[in-house]
Amino acid sequence: VTRLRRPAATSRHGPPRGADWLLRVLLPPGRDSDAIRGDLIEEFRRRRSAGWFYREAFSTIVQGHRYRHMMTLDSLLQDARYAARAAVKAPGFTLLVVLTLALGIGASTAIFSIVNGVLLRPLSLREPDRLLWISEANGRGDVISASWMNYVDWRARAHAFDGMAASRGSSLDLTGIGQARRITGRMVTGNFFQTLGAQPSLGRVFGDADERPGADRVAIVSDEFWRRQLNGDRDVLGRTLTLDGKPHTIVGVLPAGFRYLRSYDVFTALGGITGEPWLADRGNHQGFVAIGRLRPGVTREAAFSELQQIEADLTRSHPDTNADLSVVVEPLAARLVKPIRDTLLVLAGAVGILLLVACVNVAGLLVARGAARQHELAVRAALGGRRGRLVRQLLVESTMLALAGGVLGIAMATVLLRVLIAVAPPGTPRLDEVVLDGSALVFALAAATACGVLFGLLPAAQASRANGQRLVIRTRAAGASAASHRLRRVLMAVEVALALILLTAAGLMMRTLMHMTSIDAGFHPDHTLVVNTSIPEATEDRPRRIATVNEILARTRALPGVTSAGAGMSLPIDGSNWNSVFWPRDKPLPPAHDGLPSAAMLPITDGYFDALGARLVKGRPFDARDTATSAPVAIVNEALAARIWPGQDPIGRQLKQGWPESKGDWREVVGVVADIKFEGITERTTLQFYLPLAQDPPGDFWIVAHTAVVPASISTALSGSIAAVNRDMPIATLKTMDEIVGESIARQRMARFVLGVFAGLAITLAAVGLFGLVAHGVTERRHEVGVRLALGAPRASVIGLLVRHAVGAAMTGAVAGVVVAMPLTRSLEGLLFGVRPVDPATLVGVVLFLLVVTLAACALPAWRASRASITTALRAE
Amino acid sequence: MPPAYLGEFEQQVLLVVLRLGDEAFGPSIAAELERRAGRRVSRGALYTTFDRLEDKRLLRWRTVPGTEARDGLPRRLYAVSAAGVAALRAAREVVRSLWDGLDARLKKEPGR
Repeated sequence: VTRLRRPAATSRHGPPRGADWLLRVLLPPGRDSDAIRGDLIEEFRRRRSAGWFYREAFSTIVQGHRYRHMMTLDSLLQDARYAARAAVKAPGFTLLVVLTLALGIGASTAIFSIVNGVLLRPLSLREPDRLLWISEANGRGDVISASWMNYVDWRARAHAFDGMAASRGSSLDLTGIGQARRITGRMVTGNFFQTLGAQPSLGRVFGDADERPGADRVAIVSDEFWRRQLNGDRDVLGRTLTLDGKPHTIVGVLPAGFRYLRSYDVFTALGGITGEPWLADRGNHQGFVAIGRLRPGVTREAAFSELQQIEADLTRSHPDTNADLSVVVEPLAARLVKPIRDTLLVLAGAVGILLLVACVNVAGLLVARGAARQHELAVRAALGGRRGRLVRQLLVESTMLALAGGVLGIAMATVLLRVLIAVAPPGTPRLDEVVLDGSALVFALAAATACGVLFGLLPAAQASRANGQRLVIRTRAAGASAASHRLRRVLMAVEVALALILLTAAGLMMRTLMHMTSIDAGFHPDHTLVVNTSIPEATEDRPRRIATVNEILARTRALPGVTSAGAGMSLPIDGSNWNSVFWPRDKPLPPAHDGLPSAAMLPITDGYFDALGARLVKGRPFDARDTATSAPVAIVNEALAARIWPGQDPIGRQLKQGWPESKGDWREVVGVVADIKFEGITERTTLQFYLPLAQDPPGDFWIVAHTAVVPASISTALSGSIAAVNRDMPIATLKTMDEIVGESIARQRMARFVLGVFAGLAITLAAVGLFGLVAHGVTERRHEVGVRLALGAPRASVIGLLVRHAVGAAMTGAVAGVVVAMPLTRSLEGLLFGVRPVDPATLVGVVLFLLVVTLAACALPAWRASRASITTALRAE
Repeated sequence: MPPAYLGEFEQQVLLVVLRLGDEAFGPSIAAELERRAGRRVSRGALYTTFDRLEDKRLLRWRTVPGTEARDGLPRRLYAVSAAGVAALRAAREVVRSLWDGLDARLKKEPGR
């Protein structure tokens, strides 16, 4: 055998290719694997055994990997065990870090869940990205509803869409099932549900036949309405619903969770009105909006420009009605969340800042601890602990703390989310879709990990710079921690700056709400219960309407606990329902109709002003004298009196509602009432023109009752007094006036609440950080303090010395915060009222508040240090 | 810091590296081990032992240019570090103290 072998060195024979390839690909990287491969090849040339080469190649690869993994896992476990021990050894520190992070992560996870549920998650419709919301805007750029005839032309001419449907919201009076009720309804074209891509869970959706003039009246009900009102009866198809006094046949039930802009109880087909002449008037904009489903591959921009082209053509062919109109297109999802989008983005930004504050705070704590542990780290480095290992050890520690904070944060998020949903403005879209789901958990864990790495990096970098030898020797010297102290001061300044941004935002919201609630709305909302109802459409005759209102009022006034009651066509804050031009008899007519003043027309009964607590400035209120047949009279508000008869007494002067040439009555002004905010707390007061309800009785009206008891306690009795008069009169919006006012400022309230809580947390964290900074400095300088006191330095100057750095850091942060806050608070603009985004008073107040907090945080440790007896202080070293 | 603990194979590897001096390359270490210890050495075990000893700072190596026989691939020349020498000394001391006083009894044993 030996004869057959040639000397290995002269052999050009290569190793088995497969094994060599495996070696090249699979050897653990890093440790120069080429050298190992070279060794094996060299030996192979000597041995000439392919089997040997294969066996050793495999063993090298397998064992190499096993060793690698074991080492990594082993040392990670070791790091984790070490970190856990370190955490238990410093329970106060650990608790502070974990709680701080839990706050930051919990708050941001809760806000993320809301933003995700409301803004980010796609609508639960088929391919919602292809759905566009289409309407029109007038010459002033205000978005108005679309004209039906324009919609018909869009639908016929546009090629960019697979389908285009139209619909209009309308509340419907439901009668025939118990006490009449007002329900939410939407009247839709036959292709509406196909365009949205919705399938019924029972029966069918509408078709084109349901849209034709004279078609049978048909309705589709929501899942919730079906379960609640129709007892979830599966034989409901074909049953009749009486809506606004007209029978509608139920043809379908929608699946649970179906929503278009909001949830509706009932959808009805347009067939009932397509034949009516007012619909054919192109100048009429009767609440219709269109939705279009884009053809696959067509962009929003292309569809928009096509619609603009069509709209321009329509303007040319119908200049009388379309002159100033333009088409407005928005993605359906964006339209849906429009009312809350900006508020949510502000809150998302705020929570991001809060998370940052938490991170900076924890980084500060870790740096302080790192400084305290420099001796330990230096010793480990001196004993051959590799820099990489030390850095990893610190990162493992911070990540473990962060994960603990993350887990606790998720628990906090579940609680906070419930609170946030409770304080969210009523009617916030998609709020019922908000849950703490998998994506929120992923977010929380990602935030935790990012925090761990982020705030672990600083102390790790610090440790890796540590000069082992020098530190072992000099670790007790004050100079060794000067760098870490500087770093902490920078961190504190950053934290204070961030807290100041949140404080400013919260301050602005606080001022906004103060302005809003201090506005004289012209009425007192407390102890007032209101309900909206209407006389069934069939009853058109005036005497009957008047009798009905009077009977309900008589019953309401007789209820125990009611001190006064009245009725009116409109309700403050809710908006006036009738606006009209008018003209005073004693003024010359303007040359054109454009010059006529316009006012909110407000038919009311006697007792209306009393029940609302409105203030009569002059003259008399309406009373029993003012009947359908008595002399026509009016009451005007102060704004109207000041505008029409400045400096004059309006009592006894005459007004007429409508165009000057109309046949309306001249009404004599008998009273002047203080301005009432009908259109909303923050809106400008309009001119208001009250007339006796009996002289122009509306079909739809509000009952207002002022109570001596808790108003909600008589709500059943109030609806009972309506039902006693007529079971077919629907009960709608049975609320207290406080609720109605509260809802109108709910967006601001939510923003103030959330920003206030976040700012409070941020400033607390900053105060704790400042406290720690001073306390740490005090401990380090105890010796110096002792010497100074021994040499007779006054205690005040010693305290000043100790707090100087912390106050300096806080003030630097405050200045930086003001500079950064000024552009950022502009994003609040849409929420503010009575205060500008850059408000000097708020900024000054916030900075002063911060100064007080800073001094309070610094005072205690500094005072304690200066109280220390000189001998103790000197012995400290 | 007490000298690192050495496993039996680790000890053998370090001793062979010391013995080979400027010739302490992978294949020669393997050959020497097989010759002196009289057993087959799996290359996988050998290279992970090099790694482990290097992790413990007992062994170090430098890379030198390769020869034609290994297709010009680089070679690692191993050397025992000061800590490695200290560990070997300590290990010998342990063995020595364990052997202490037992020579006579073990000599009597038949068949060895």
